[in-house]
Amino acid sequence: MKIEALGVEHFYGHEKVLNGVDITIEPGSFTAIIGESGSGKTTLLSILSTLLQPSEGIVKYDGKILSELGNIDRFRRHNIGFVFQFHYLISYLTLRENIALGAIDESRVESLLQSLGIAKLSHRYSDEVSGGERQRAAIARALVNAPSVVFADEPTGNLDTKNALGVYELFREFSHQGTGFVVASHDKKIADYADIIIEMEDGLVKKVYK
Amino acid sequence: MITPLKALHKNRFKTALIFISMSVSIAAIFLISAISGGVVSMYSSMLKTDGDIIVTQKGIADTFFSDINRTVADEISKIQGVKEVSALILGAAPVEPLPIVGIYGASENRFKSYTLKKGSYPQSGEVMLGSKIYETLKHPETISLSKKEFRVSGVFKSRIGFEDGGVVMPLSDAGEVFHKSASIFLIALDDLSQSDTIIAHINKTHPEMEAKTTDGFIDSYNQFKIIKTSSDVIGAMAFLMGILGIVSMMSMVVNDRKAEFGIMRSIGLSSSTIIFKLLSETLIIAVLAFAVAYGVSLGVLELIEHAEKFQGYINGEITFALAIKVFIVSVSMALFGTLLPAVYAARIDPMSLIQRGGA
Repeated sequence: MKIEALGVEHFYGHEKVLNGVDITIEPGSFTAIIGESGSGKTTLLSILSTLLQPSEGIVKYDGKILSELGNIDRFRRHNIGFVFQFHYLISYLTLRENIALGAIDESRVESLLQSLGIAKLSHRYSDEVSGGERQRAAIARALVNAPSVVFADEPTGNLDTKNALGVYELFREFSHQGTGFVVASHDKKIADYADIIIEMEDGLVKKVYK
Repeated sequence: MITPLKALHKNRFKTALIFISMSVSIAAIFLISAISGGVVSMYSSMLKTDGDIIVTQKGIADTFFSDINRTVADEISKIQGVKEVSALILGAAPVEPLPIVGIYGASENRFKSYTLKKGSYPQSGEVMLGSKIYETLKHPETISLSKKEFRVSGVFKSRIGFEDGGVVMPLSDAGEVFHKSASIFLIALDDLSQSDTIIAHINKTHPEMEAKTTDGFIDSYNQFKIIKTSSDVIGAMAFLMGILGIVSMMSMVVNDRKAEFGIMRSIGLSSSTIIFKLLSETLIIAVLAFAVAYGVSLGVLELIEHAEKFQGYINGEITFALAIKVFIVSVSMALFGTLLPAVYAARIDPMSLIQRGGA
């Protein structure tokens, strides 16, 4: 799914956090949005992922604006996956049940458990596995409906370097299989894995490079 | 089914609080309805025994205040279609050491409706006691009533608590105690289809009296209306308290589980799915609370029935119809109490997950 942001501005109260952003995310690409805290990367990610409406400007998904996409819940369920800094696994469900929670059909659950290396842990609860394994389960949950694009906000923020690099590796691997990834991060190591780097500063795109 | 149970188990402290709150409310509804229903049912049964038609003093609010001429009973018994007329005086007086006891003066033909366990029906200067009061008074040979001694001639058993805990005496003796001729006539008919004609005849020939079918009398009896209205009001308050308890507890539950509902919203689960999930959780609690409240209420009613201080006068019954009614009330309580917090949960903005993450 091609995502275009055109003249996107956003305010929190009177504070302007995005100053007119124009970017295009190509289908299936692994795009990293990097920048310091307060640069606007998380706000941009939230707007691109439909979670937040921009104060000004428009976002298009395969040429359609949000209001033309129909039911937003349905659109998200079929097209978008989310990975957050915290895993947000539901503690009373096993990893498998968490992954299957929003599944339109559960046929991909087993293969995702295998490919993410958590098949043997599938019947464990989130407090019975490591931080890296939890985040893998969260990634599997995001991928269960074979979305066009997965948005991740600081997905490695709570992980050590080894696990963080493992997550980037997974994103690159799935992106090669056709799933787009848009990842907001202040971790510069992501640049080694992403196809496109969007660098943000003071609410503006400072530069875009490969 | 498994997921809601897991969620309830995970949040077991708050689940327990909701369960207790619901159980108490449901038990309160059960008890107040059962006890008020029992009072009405006992008194109705008493009046319905050999009474197709009831005659009272006209315009009187309560049968206890009614005073009619007992000699009219003979006249009514001669009306075609009337099988039998019994006269009753309904009163209450202290019987040492009990502060208040139901006293029933009955015409001789009424005695046969009491099943004797011991002794004989009372003659003048005698009384027979219900088995409950006989036990409470520790098998007395005489009782003192209105400063007069009466010999206990016999003991009867009645399934009607008011009678089983009361004293039955000849009509004339009761007349002296309560200074009245009779409170009511109970008329048994040969043919029920003649009741309207007979009622019209009595009301015409005795304008100081009022005849009604016993069912009609029970439906319009003020005391029953007061009891029923009071019970409905207290029941409604218990219902509202139950709802408020659920609303406040479920609001806390939703707040605790904000991230859970936020993640559900972010992965595209619909609002109705989230609302249904929360409703199913409280419905499970409601069904369990209903079962426990039913058991507790049966136990409490049993205790009350056998508590000496109540003399068997409080005799609640949980009918199948009442159980169904309270079950519907319990489910409604769960649904109404959960709806608002569930709608709030369904509207949790997934953005809160990003903000909470601190990125």
